Amino acid sequence: MSDNLQVLLLDDEPIVGRRLKPALAKIGCDVDVFEDPEQALAKMAQKEYDVVVTDIRMDQIDGMQVLEFVRDRWPRSKVIMITGYAMMSLAREAMEKGAFDFIAKPFKPDDLRRVIAKAAHALGSDIDFEAVEMEKVNG
Amino acid sequence: MVEGSIQGNGQPPPEAGPQAEEEIEVQGRLGLARGAEQARRALLNRPRFSLRLQIFLGNALAFLIAIAIAIALVASFHRMESKIRFLEIVNDYVMEVEQARRFEKNFFLYGTNLSDAQDNVFKAENILSRNAEELAAIMGAGWREEMLPNLHRYEQLLEKLGQQPQSDQALSKQERRRVQSQVRGQGQQMVSAALGLLSKEKTALAEVLTRSRLLLFYSVGLLLLCMALNAYLLGSRMLSSINRFGQYAHRIASGDFTPLTPSKRYRDEFTELALAINSMIEELEDREAVLVQSHKMRAVGTLTAGVAHELNNPMNNITLTAHMLQEDYADLDDQERLEMIGDVVGEASRAKKIISNLLDFARESGSQLEPLDLPELLRETIALASNQIKLSGIKIDFQASGNLPRVHGDSQQLRQVFLNLILNAIDASSKGGQIQVLVLPADEPNYLAVKVIDSGSGIPAHILPSIFDPFFTTKGKGKGTGLGLSVSQGIVAKHGGRIRVSSQEKQGATFTVVLPVTTIPAELGAKK
Repeated sequence: MSDNLQVLLLDDEPIVGRRLKPALAKIGCDVDVFEDPEQALAKMAQKEYDVVVTDIRMDQIDGMQVLEFVRDRWPRSKVIMITGYAMMSLAREAMEKGAFDFIAKPFKPDDLRRVIAKAAHALGSDIDFEAVEMEKVNG
Repeated sequence: MVEGSIQGNGQPPPEAGPQAEEEIEVQGRLGLARGAEQARRALLNRPRFSLRLQIFLGNALAFLIAIAIAIALVASFHRMESKIRFLEIVNDYVMEVEQARRFEKNFFLYGTNLSDAQDNVFKAENILSRNAEELAAIMGAGWREEMLPNLHRYEQLLEKLGQQPQSDQALSKQERRRVQSQVRGQGQQMVSAALGLLSKEKTALAEVLTRSRLLLFYSVGLLLLCMALNAYLLGSRMLSSINRFGQYAHRIASGDFTPLTPSKRYRDEFTELALAINSMIEELEDREAVLVQSHKMRAVGTLTAGVAHELNNPMNNITLTAHMLQEDYADLDDQERLEMIGDVVGEASRAKKIISNLLDFARESGSQLEPLDLPELLRETIALASNQIKLSGIKIDFQASGNLPRVHGDSQQLRQVFLNLILNAIDASSKGGQIQVLVLPADEPNYLAVKVIDSGSGIPAHILPSIFDPFFTTKGKGKGTGLGLSVSQGIVAKHGGRIRVSSQEKQGATFTVVLPVTTIPAELGAKK
């Protein structure tokens, strides 16, 4: 197992995964991207991720069920919920059910990086988020 | 199961009569603006026969009959009067003649003076000549020949008899006896003729009396009959009009805003009422149009929440892609850059599509009637509500029978009705629930049915009769106006259809919209 932060990203919008995978890789995350919640759950049944990022609203299985699954299976994992603008009540519910944090669509890559850095800090394995910031400023 | 206890339109749909007629009916219900002016002209363009005139004519007729009765009675009294006068005259005459005969008898018995008898004969003659006119009136011009000769003869005989025995022309005893018997016979004949006349005229008088009594009896009866007939005609005319207007009120209350058209060949005071009701209908229609529009805007408001949420996805995709493009621009090759720009373009058009449906629906448009493909209309409506459906985690199942005829209607308004039913069904359903939308031929021929079936908690039987009432809502404060179903009912009624609901508690509800099919061929209708 590498030292990299293990991240699972679940969103039924393919572009989200396509863009965030390289964005998160830059801050030292190994990202597995899923669009289908079933497959994501199957994978998580076997592998423990440090951070799980999931959209709340999906067709088959929604983010809440994913959150409950992770909380039962891997209590150490941090779950970050992606919510729609109009679903703050759901976000609050997610927090009560033990989500680490939530982030509302539309968001910038850095917004998620910041939340993931916070999660990494909480897990005791800080990642060098600042370095990316500095690189952007310099580049 | 409470089935079909509520009907959108109070009345069953018209019997499936000749199709052409139905078409006219449907068009008639919708071409209202033109119809109002036409109805006004048709109402006014009739000869006037007012209630006031009918009352006047009825009274005038009764008055004429009364006058006729009075004239007939006066004439009859006049006749009776002259008959009575005649009887008096004849009576006087008879009295004089009888008096003369009494003197004649005295003369025979006691040899008294005959001049008294002659006096009486003279008086009798006097009576006759004095009342010549009255006698002529009753007996005709021949009365003289009938009465006078007898009298004169009697007079002559008396005179003959009265001559003194010692005079030259004195009669022999034998001759005297002959004259005596002649006098007696003549006197008797005169009295009996007069008495005969008297009794004949008495009978005639009695007849006239009876006849005038009958005349009075029948004419009063005729007058009463005439007045009763008048009252009946007037009353039934007013009652039928009042009943008719009662029916109009029910019809208008059920949402049918067809202007009133003439139902009689003449106009009267009720025509003014009909005109006033027609202008009220126009006013109501304007108001309902405002209500329909404002309710539509409410539906747009509901949809906007879903749209705003759905827009987040393309917005998020664009935001992420743009940021990554900016961040990694130098490190990416052309192919990757192009791919990312392509994603932005694609997501932008996706965003546009999400709002264009809603904008189409929200756009205020005039009422346009056209033959509509009902399954297609429902597909569009479901697409419009798709964000809401996705957001609520509900499945929608749409099924339409093949080869359905078209319905004639306003696509915007009907879409509003179906959207309302679907949004209601979404509200009623819990997460993971299912909504079924079916388009199929209705039970009655020439009608199509759209069923929106939810699997929610159902509608309690005690509120089922109220759900189409304006301002009735089961939703929380600020969530529903209670106008949705009422407005929908109005729209469907205007299309000649109706909305029904059946529900069983805990088993969901089924709303059925029944609409008449159009009989205009599709191509023909499309050219309009």
